[in-house]
Amino acid sequence: MPILELDNVTKRFGGLTAVKSVTFALQAGEIVFIIGPNGAGKTSIFNLISGFLHPDEGSIRFQGKDISKLPAYQAARRGIGRTFQIVKPLASLSVLENVMLGAFMHTSSTRKAEQEAKKILAFLQMPHLENFPARGLPLAALKRLEIARALATMPKMILLDEVVSGLTTSEALALAGLVKRLPEWGVSVVGGVEHVMQVVMKIAHRIVVLDHGAKIAEGQPEEVVKEPGVIEAYLGPRYKELAR
Amino acid sequence: MNSLRGWRLWTVLGFLVASAGLPALTPNDYLLQVLFRIALFAALGLAWNLVGGYAGQLSLGHVAYFGVGAYGLALFTAHSVPKWISVFLAASVAALFAAVIGSIVFRLRGPYFTLSTIAFAEVLRLTATNLNITGGAIGLTTPALFTGSSFWTLFYLSAVILAFITFLVNYWVSRSRFGYYLLAIREDEDTASAVGIDTAGYKLRALLISAFVTALGGALYASAFQFIVPDNVFTIDISVQIAIITMLGGAGTLPGPVLGSVLLLGASEMFKSQFKESHLLIYGLLIVVVVLFLPEGIVGGFEQRLRNRKKTPVDAAKALALGGD
Repeated sequence: MPILELDNVTKRFGGLTAVKSVTFALQAGEIVFIIGPNGAGKTSIFNLISGFLHPDEGSIRFQGKDISKLPAYQAARRGIGRTFQIVKPLASLSVLENVMLGAFMHTSSTRKAEQEAKKILAFLQMPHLENFPARGLPLAALKRLEIARALATMPKMILLDEVVSGLTTSEALALAGLVKRLPEWGVSVVGGVEHVMQVVMKIAHRIVVLDHGAKIAEGQPEEVVKEPGVIEAYLGPRYKELAR
Repeated sequence: MNSLRGWRLWTVLGFLVASAGLPALTPNDYLLQVLFRIALFAALGLAWNLVGGYAGQLSLGHVAYFGVGAYGLALFTAHSVPKWISVFLAASVAALFAAVIGSIVFRLRGPYFTLSTIAFAEVLRLTATNLNITGGAIGLTTPALFTGSSFWTLFYLSAVILAFITFLVNYWVSRSRFGYYLLAIREDEDTASAVGIDTAGYKLRALLISAFVTALGGALYASAFQFIVPDNVFTIDISVQIAIITMLGGAGTLPGPVLGSVLLLGASEMFKSQFKESHLLIYGLLIVVVVLFLPEGIVGGFEQRLRNRKKTPVDAAKALALGGD
C-alpha cells in the first residue's frame, strides 16, 4: 500500500486553479521529486499534503487514512514533516533549540529532546553550529536546519520544498547526498524543485512533472526529461520540435 | 534558558528577602503604598509576560481580567462568600472569561489581535458602567483582606508573594516544553504548526494562567483601595502600563517585568514629587528612549549584546559545502 495517495486533488484560489486534479502516489521508502516551472503548483501541493491548505476537490490519504481536512499541526503529528521554501528558522533560538522543538513531539523532557536533536544535527553534519543563533546562519545551514527540525519529529514522510534553491552547486550536491540517505531513517521523501536537475537526477527514484497546476508527466528521471511535453513546459513550444 | 542555580538562585533569593524586609525600613504608609504598587505591577508584568513575552502576543486588554478580579471580589463577598474564597473564585471567573475571549481573539494575528483585546476590555468597562449589579459608574465597595496597623505592610507582602509565585511560574515555563512551544509560536506560527504544535491551544493555555494571576492582582488592588469604579479597574491605562513595564524591562525574559516595574513606577513616583505635573512628560521620554535604543527591553538588550559576541564562524558554515556523501 502506498504511504501517500493524492486522488484528483484540485485547489482554487478565486479564479485561479493552482492545482488541477492531480493524482499520484508515493511508496514507503521512496524519493519522489515534483518538478515544474515557477508557478506550476508545487508549493500548493506541499501545503495541501501538510494541512496548510485543504483541497476543494479530491482526497489525500496518508497511510490509508483520509487527511484532506486535517489542520497542519495534526498532519505533523500523523508523521508528515515539512520544510519551507522560504526558510522559516526560529531566529532568536539557537540551532539546537530549533531542532529540539521538533523532538518535543515525542518527549516532554528537555534533556531527551536535546539528546535527540544532537543525533540529528550529527547526521546533518552541523553539530559544530548547535549553539549559534539561527539568525545570521548562511542559507546552506538554514536549509539543513529546516530538514533537521522536520526530521526531529520522527516523520514517516518528509516534504522538502525547494530544498536546494539558492545554494551553490557544491552546497546543493552535498545536501542532496544527505537527502538520499533519509530513507535510512524510515522516511519517505517528496521533494520539489524548479530546475536544479543535477540534484533531481542524482537522488530521485521517480519524478512527477507539473505545469500550470496539472500533472503532465511521471516516471523515471531519465525518461521524463526527454518527453516533449516537459521540454515545452520548460523551454517553450519551439524546443519541443528539437527534442524529436 | 538559564538554570536557576549558583549565583542566579542566590540573586533571586536575596532579592526576595530584601523585598520582604523592606517594610521594616519604611514605616511610612505612603512609601509602603508605592512599594505595594511596584510589587503588584511586577506580578502583573510577569503574568502578562507569558502571553506578551514568551508567546509574543501583544495583548493590550489585560485590564479585562484585572477588572473581573476586582469586581468578582466585590460581588462574591456581597453574596456572603468568604473574602479569600472570593478572591480565588474571581480569578477562576477571569480564567473563564479568558477562555471565551481567547478563543475569539487568537484567531487574529498581529495588530488585529491587539485591537481585539482592547475591544473586549472596553466592552467589559462599558458593561460594568451600565449594569445595576456592578453599581454602574458609581462602583462598588470591596472588603479589606487585611486590617489593623500593618495594613499596607500585609498588602505589600501579599503582592510580593504573588510576584514571586508568578516568577516561579515564568521560570518553569522558560525551561519546559510548554515554554519552548510558546517561543516557537512567537517566532513563526507556521513553523510551529509544522512541528505539530497546536498553536491556538497553547496560546489559550498561556492566557488562562496569565488571566488567573492578573485577576488575583486585580482583587488585591481592589481590596487595598476598598472601592472600585469601572474607570479605575477597567481602564486601558492599566493594560498599557502592564505591557510597557514588561517591554521596558524585557519581554520574554525572567527579570524583565520586575526590573521594569521597579524602574518605571519608581521613576514615576520620584518625578511626581520632584517635577509635579511634568512627571508624565519625563515618563513618556523615558519610554521613547528605551524603545529607540533598547527595543528588546533592558534585560533583552543586555542578553542580545551577550549573544552577538557569538557570531557564526564563516568557515564553520562553509564546511557545509563539503561532506554529504
